[in-house]
Amino acid sequence: MFEYFFAVKEIAALSSTVQKWAIIISTFALGLGIITTFRIHIAHVKRKSKGQWFFSAWLMGFFVLLTLIGLWDTKFVVYDWTFKNVYVALATTLYAITGFYIFTAAYRAFRARNIEATILIVSGVLILLRNAPIGEAIWRGFPILGEWVLMKGQVGGMRTLTFVAAAGLVVFGIRTLLGMERGYYGGE
Amino acid sequence: MSKSIWSKITDVDRRVLYWVMFIALAIPFISPLGMPVPVTEMTKAVYDKVESLGPKNIALFSIAGGVSAWPEIAPSMVAVMRHLVKKEVKIVVWGFFTDQDITVDMITSNVPELKTKYKYGEDWVYMGYLAGGETAVAALASDVHSVFKADKYGTPVEKLPLIQRVKSAKDIDLVLTVDTGSYILYYVRHWNVGKGTPVAEIGIAMQADMVVYYPANLVGLMIGVRGGAEYEKLIGRLGDGTVRMDAINISHLLFIIAIALANVGYVATRRKK
Repeated sequence: MFEYFFAVKEIAALSSTVQKWAIIISTFALGLGIITTFRIHIAHVKRKSKGQWFFSAWLMGFFVLLTLIGLWDTKFVVYDWTFKNVYVALATTLYAITGFYIFTAAYRAFRARNIEATILIVSGVLILLRNAPIGEAIWRGFPILGEWVLMKGQVGGMRTLTFVAAAGLVVFGIRTLLGMERGYYGGE
Repeated sequence: MSKSIWSKITDVDRRVLYWVMFIALAIPFISPLGMPVPVTEMTKAVYDKVESLGPKNIALFSIAGGVSAWPEIAPSMVAVMRHLVKKEVKIVVWGFFTDQDITVDMITSNVPELKTKYKYGEDWVYMGYLAGGETAVAALASDVHSVFKADKYGTPVEKLPLIQRVKSAKDIDLVLTVDTGSYILYYVRHWNVGKGTPVAEIGIAMQADMVVYYPANLVGLMIGVRGGAEYEKLIGRLGDGTVRMDAINISHLLFIIAIALANVGYVATRRKK
């Protein structure tokens, strides 16, 4: 933080070293993630957890298979093929499916139960009509109203929230550094 | 006692809704709507910034979004890359998602000039994946060479003339961050506020709230499929973004009709009670 606010050469060098440590530790965390994943899923397979063990076995099997393909296939032909034709298709499908869930969720949850919920629904609809050119085709005023909600209503609220959260974070950081905030390790 | 029509409307089975959505989305495939896409100020701002760059400038293309987000951001990525190549801007690519190699492959196959017109190492370079989140972004802002010792293919940075020119954030003329999460915030904090480098966003629709940093800390924003469609219009080369806007139009309209219908049903049933 000191390096961020003050231009002191020595501190900058120290900060750079600490940042590099963090990057290295994060890279190791990937390895740790693999170990943790295997520990959890091996336990599921051993216990034959109902509705889970098969998927755990599938995950580990596919993981090992892809690793072996990656090591064996030095030109990455099979490896690339697997990624492009299995992973890409599955990942994009999964993402697209969320649209269907959001649709049904909006149908059930977006009810004008009170004034706040009504404001939320109206704002949401205006943003939808701003984002889709069909809104302008219906009425030219929709994108203008949507733009107003986005650029004035939303921006004001989000900026306030950001500032308040940042101020709270600074206070939390100072309290933690001074040992006054112990909740994160079980204290009071 | 039989249910009233309004009760039935409010309790429609989700499978029916899935089918309605599915059929509605299929309509544009049979009969494309092809509605014009007006260009928003924020996308135009990104375009103007790229347009102001030339062969002497270096742009950073940072990938902080996974393959799963392609349906939304791939058109934007391709359109912006086409524009950068057209302007002969030097391009440095790196990223923070483990599946980003496939994204780079997708971009290079859609923008073949990167292989034909551009010389790797001199005109563009791909530095690969980096872990570390915000710390990594901060470290790169101060000293690129201490973080990356070689590019994705193992070529040492000493043998890459382009990356030799990029020592810190100050050597980059524009950051284009492809984002599905919070990397935009890291670039704003450490590259824009910290070093004064212009930053632009290529994000999913959910990231429209990043407009809070526009125009003070962000040059511009390209949001969702629409951002891509607008950019395609600006560069005069229509592509997937424009095609996908039909689905956006239909789905958004369907959302509004569904919300309206559900609320009419809700009010009607509440009155009866």
